[in-house]
Amino acid sequence: MIEITAAAQQRLQEILAEKEGDLLGLLVGIKGRGPAGFEHYMRFIGEIDKPEGALVTAVGELRIFIPPDNADNLKGSTIDFSAAKGAFNIENPNPAWVWPDPLAQSVQDVLTKQINPAVAAHGGAVQLLEVKDQVAYIELGGGCVGCGMVDVTLKQGIEVAIKEAVPEILAVVDTTDHASGTNPYFQPDKADPHHQPAKGGQAPRSPFA
Amino acid sequence: MTAQLVNAPTGRVLLLMATQTYRASAFLEAASRLEIPVAVGSEQPQPLAHLNPGGHLLVDFHDLEGATDRIVEFSANYPLEAILSTDDDGVVLAAMASDALGLSHNPLLAVRAARDKYQTRQALAGAGMATPKFQRFSIDDDPGEAARQISYPCVVKPLALAASRGVMRADDPDEFVAAFGRLATILETVEVSELNPGGYQILVESYLSGVEVAVEGLLFQGELTVLAIFDKPDPLVGPFFEETLYVTPSRHSEAVQREIVAETQQAITALGLTEGPVHVELRINEAGCWILEVAPRSIGGYCSRALRFGAGISLEELILQHALGLPLASTHPATPASGVMMIPIPRAGILCEVQGVGQAQAVPGIDEIRITIPVGRAVVPLPEGSQYLGFIFARDQTPELAEAALRAAHSRLNFIIT
Repeated sequence: MIEITAAAQQRLQEILAEKEGDLLGLLVGIKGRGPAGFEHYMRFIGEIDKPEGALVTAVGELRIFIPPDNADNLKGSTIDFSAAKGAFNIENPNPAWVWPDPLAQSVQDVLTKQINPAVAAHGGAVQLLEVKDQVAYIELGGGCVGCGMVDVTLKQGIEVAIKEAVPEILAVVDTTDHASGTNPYFQPDKADPHHQPAKGGQAPRSPFA
Repeated sequence: MTAQLVNAPTGRVLLLMATQTYRASAFLEAASRLEIPVAVGSEQPQPLAHLNPGGHLLVDFHDLEGATDRIVEFSANYPLEAILSTDDDGVVLAAMASDALGLSHNPLLAVRAARDKYQTRQALAGAGMATPKFQRFSIDDDPGEAARQISYPCVVKPLALAASRGVMRADDPDEFVAAFGRLATILETVEVSELNPGGYQILVESYLSGVEVAVEGLLFQGELTVLAIFDKPDPLVGPFFEETLYVTPSRHSEAVQREIVAETQQAITALGLTEGPVHVELRINEAGCWILEVAPRSIGGYCSRALRFGAGISLEELILQHALGLPLASTHPATPASGVMMIPIPRAGILCEVQGVGQAQAVPGIDEIRITIPVGRAVVPLPEGSQYLGFIFARDQTPELAEAALRAAHSRLNFIIT
């Protein structure tokens, strides 16, 4: 289900050896969908933290736990470790624009077919993060962030198009965090590769969280 | 909170806003809360306009007749009930297009006069109001000769720029010549000349000592409803006149506040303004209240977030309700005191880092902090600049506490500019 490169296995074993307590293995899951694909998390867990129904697989001496609702979207992923960067990376071949929930998929289709091609021409990007209780949560990236007219794009464009195509959606909420460093208002030094936009959006964040 | 409309609008409101506006969010949120359909008229094409053609209109604010024709044409397909400008840029177009469509609005001549500080001075003086000595020059005039025609100290200002941009004090002829040249350079820039209907002209007024206040209000058939009087507790004595703190309610005596309101009403009448939002700046000294400017629009930047009415109604909700002839939800302040600090740019350079936002946010009474210039961008202070680093908002039990919170929060912020 998940592959772990030799470099990643070695580094994970080193980290595990440094940790205290009775640990079962590594929990790997999906924390969200970003412009560059799925965003992941990894952490070592004990028995108490094991998700109910977690899928278990073994890679070498390492046991990997996967939350059941993440299994399909992690299929075929590879965990790698770059000694040069000192960071893990998860290569996930599954498209982040495919959703199990038909309502979310309908919203995603509007973003993919109508909205993103148009905002891309202005250097922007719009990602669907979640659909919950008939509310679509989105994040804006690229040229949309910091633009004085972003609210016009949101209220007069994105919201109108989504509600028209998917009437079940009651509201569209922009979750772009303008105060936490995830957009150019607070973007750290541009030389930092972890904050360089990738494929029209933000770079994926480190999975070890 | 969602306010209930007594009479739902049948058409839509056209909001004229330049793409550099700070005001889009507040007006669109207000329209959304009130469920009022709006169209946005701006000077740049919007990426999703094709998905909602009734929600967007491309207009050139500098081609008033062409833009008016476009609005009239648009209204044939998407009927308009009101036209509002969110900032200075569109107020003349809003008046002209409203006139063409027979919509309630300020008279065009009144708006033109209010947009031009020289015409404003003429109107106020003509109405017998207290006015400093004023004289208009062209940037092509000889500043040395001009320096001999005026008295000192004086204030040199452009006819139409906002946010104190280009406004400078001169205490003697040498300072005047320097300020004149500096303002002429500002006015010669393309950006300014496109936005400045006063063209290449300079207004020189005798300097007024004293403290400043600002009045935020709504006009109903020429009658002023005061929504807030802001004190500006930081001294504004020059050489530049950087806006920083706005705190409401005013701590001036009731008598002084009555005089502020009376002078404001008199200025509005003198100019002939009749409908919609007004933002008026005054200076107060031992001789009384002096009008500095009367803007036929609401307060600029993000500052309106300092104002909430009733159960949390925004200023923009009131403006939209007024524009549609609907009853106002409430004009009573939602909190005992509130304020905003426009964070000044201390020096020119590149903004490299903003430190201390968390600590500033943690100051009791602080409502919100918004940094509005992205890290990595060039920052330009007054008199050439026209932006602020951001805005700090406070709400508290008294204006003294609100002001103290703003100052404390600002002291915790550190802007690294290189």
